[in-house]
Amino acid sequence: MDTLAVDIAPVLDGFTVVLEPTNLLYCLIGVTVGMLVGVLPGLGPAATIAILLPITIGIEPVTAIIMLSGIFYGAQYGGTITSVLLKLPGEASSVVTVFDGHALSRQGRAGTALGIAAIGSFVGGTVSIVALSFLAPVVASFALDFGPPEYTALALLGILLVSTISSGSRLKALVAASIGLLLATVGRDAFTGGERFTFGNLNLADGLDFVPIAMGLFGLGEILYNLEERHTAAQAPMKVANVWPSRRDLRQSSGAIGRGSVLGFVLGILPGGGATLASLAAYAVEKRRSKTPERFGNGAVEGVAGPETANNAAATSSFIPLLTLGIPANATMAVIFGALLVIGVSPGPQLVTEEPELFWGVINSMYIGNILLLIMSIPLVGLFVKILRVRPAILAPITVLITLIGVYTVNNSVFDIVLVIVFGVLGYLMKKLGFDPGPLLLAFVLGVLLEESLRRSLLIFDGNAAEFFTRPISGTLLVVFLLVALLPLIGKAFARRRSAEQQNDTTKELV
Amino acid sequence: MTSAHDGAHAPTGPGGSTAAGASPLGADDAARSTTAVESPSTLHDLEEAVHRLEAEAEHRPPAAGPTTNLVVATLVVALGAAALVGSLSLGVGSARTPGSGTWPLILSLLIVVLGLGLAVTARSTTDAERFSRSSLLVLAGLATMVVFVALIGTIGFEIPAALLAFVWLRFLGGEGWRLSVVMSLGLVVAFYLIFVAALSVPIPHLF
Amino acid sequence: MTVLVGYVPTPEGDAAFSAALQEARRRSESLVVLNSPQGGAPVSVDVAPDPAVRRMNERAEADGVTLELRQAAHSGDAADEVLRVAQEVDASVIVIGLRKRSAVGKLLMGSVAQRILLDADRPVLAVKP
Repeated sequence: MDTLAVDIAPVLDGFTVVLEPTNLLYCLIGVTVGMLVGVLPGLGPAATIAILLPITIGIEPVTAIIMLSGIFYGAQYGGTITSVLLKLPGEASSVVTVFDGHALSRQGRAGTALGIAAIGSFVGGTVSIVALSFLAPVVASFALDFGPPEYTALALLGILLVSTISSGSRLKALVAASIGLLLATVGRDAFTGGERFTFGNLNLADGLDFVPIAMGLFGLGEILYNLEERHTAAQAPMKVANVWPSRRDLRQSSGAIGRGSVLGFVLGILPGGGATLASLAAYAVEKRRSKTPERFGNGAVEGVAGPETANNAAATSSFIPLLTLGIPANATMAVIFGALLVIGVSPGPQLVTEEPELFWGVINSMYIGNILLLIMSIPLVGLFVKILRVRPAILAPITVLITLIGVYTVNNSVFDIVLVIVFGVLGYLMKKLGFDPGPLLLAFVLGVLLEESLRRSLLIFDGNAAEFFTRPISGTLLVVFLLVALLPLIGKAFARRRSAEQQNDTTKELV
Repeated sequence: MTSAHDGAHAPTGPGGSTAAGASPLGADDAARSTTAVESPSTLHDLEEAVHRLEAEAEHRPPAAGPTTNLVVATLVVALGAAALVGSLSLGVGSARTPGSGTWPLILSLLIVVLGLGLAVTARSTTDAERFSRSSLLVLAGLATMVVFVALIGTIGFEIPAALLAFVWLRFLGGEGWRLSVVMSLGLVVAFYLIFVAALSVPIPHLF
Repeated sequence: MTVLVGYVPTPEGDAAFSAALQEARRRSESLVVLNSPQGGAPVSVDVAPDPAVRRMNERAEADGVTLELRQAAHSGDAADEVLRVAQEVDASVIVIGLRKRSAVGKLLMGSVAQRILLDADRPVLAVKP
């Protein structure tokens, strides 16, 4: 197999890239910021990456992506800490950890919970990177044959999946996605050259810029949302001693860690799946598998090991669709997608072959990142807990100013500041009213690709849309698309019929 | 929401079978969970427990009433309608020769339909939050940002930034006078040193 | 009528609590312990940890004093919060603990105790550890 010979060399080159001092430094910065962001309730990794986008402009592309990805998987480590210690989930993917993690903490075994979580996170992340290293080039080479119809179907499916599995109402997520697609049409039409929806404004002639939208929607939107009184009761600081699990705990969790790694890896690749879903699924699996399920909720180590491993594995594998197909799997990946565009790298299957240093540099940096995070999560965890004492009222204006001034530095344009504020308001309103902003950004980012592919496909098919189904890949993807779109409606019909039957049965019993 | 998740799980491997197979056993679990232990086992129960936990941890405001939901739905429909008009004026063409406005037309129709869907479910929607007095804080925060961007062109960033920081610290954050003043000044100095002195960013500045 | 004490888990706070307990017993009144951290941070050094809370309850019970503990966070000035609660529970006396401040500390941050002493509309008992 001559692909094997090609495989090794760029991977090794990737390691040389990673070990450059600048990249190591930015990796450290990224994972540290990520861990801090994960610990702090309020700002999430998507918002933080969005706010730090302006930094990516001045530095090397590889360095930028190494840092941004570090923030993402670093946040998975940090979120655990507050879940265990304070019953306060720092990240959505750490909510499940509260059940058993906090129980362990109440039993005085907080150190065990944190230690198991850290080890599980490390194993999950590392296993995922290894699997990614083998799978990604395969997927990319497979996708090189994709044409416009395949991309249309893929983009459609990706947007639908993210909207479906996102938190909150499916309907509202679809609205958000549609608005995102609509926003992508603003500007010059690539096919005809005409201007669309620019209202004569020169600033809009080239289309809406990604960076202000991301920074506003996720960054300012979240800060404005947090302004409203949402007081969590404060707790006294706790000392975290002995963050290392016993040998028995390790042995008990080993199965959960193994299962969590696989489960997380698989679910992370699925657009919309991701870390949160993986943690939920892993918990359900562990509880179902266990011969003593009543321990769960009372401090079962598997209940911590499984989800924590899975969410890290999923966070890592969610890079695959982005790096191999150019399709972001979740909102954070959409922001990173935008970052890649901003620094001039076009994500897609050609990334592996055309920019191997970037591709392998980023992937291999994750090994180092995970090691750094393991160190920070075990001996240094006490330091990170200290940040919980900072009052959010102090962080808020700092973040606002970083965002407002930072967005200016991208294009030296005051209009961008206006844009970021407008989208900040939109982001606030969306969060307030139950619309997930993630699908909007994802759809916006994919909008250009989607429309282009769609129109090219129609040109190829000479207007006959049914021909999408004649090609094997686009056909399959579209069938899946229709299934996912229509399944819940069918499911609801079934559920209503079943509950009607059950009611008939119970009335029969009463009689 | 449940059915959507179950549907989406079907294509995957390990997680899928448990979730799909969980439904018939869900009833048993529900009966068992009346005992003291809260820990849920089916994916559906898990989601509910997660939502409950998040709500507890966050102290979210109460849900918005049907009026708010209807207003939201109307706004969405209006947006779709406006986009519809705009797309028509751009020229729609046909499936064979798509014009500038074809894709926006599809999208606007979709938005209108979805908006109508929102209107229909307005009464049963519970995931929107009610606007309250603390929403005024958001308005105030927004106002500081508007003032910032309005003034930055004429008097540079230092004064608007200091004002913004002061308002956020003192009035929106409830910090003390002295801390607010000291921090606002400190922040502006820091930003000046980083952006103007170190990075030489051409941001409008006074000093 | 009740005795109000502003408490933080420091020697000054403990001294204030002891004095307040004594006062409550002397006046045959209940005791309200205000242990309110400032702002919305999830963790605050001002919050009394569980062992301290337990001890306070035990001591109050031993002395036959009804104890009410308030730990909700407040935004804004700590002195204002103490005075507000004093008004709310109609405290017969406010008990606070005093500590030495450095000159710079006094300049930058002011003194909560000083503000309470000057602005209170009811008796204030200031104790030192």
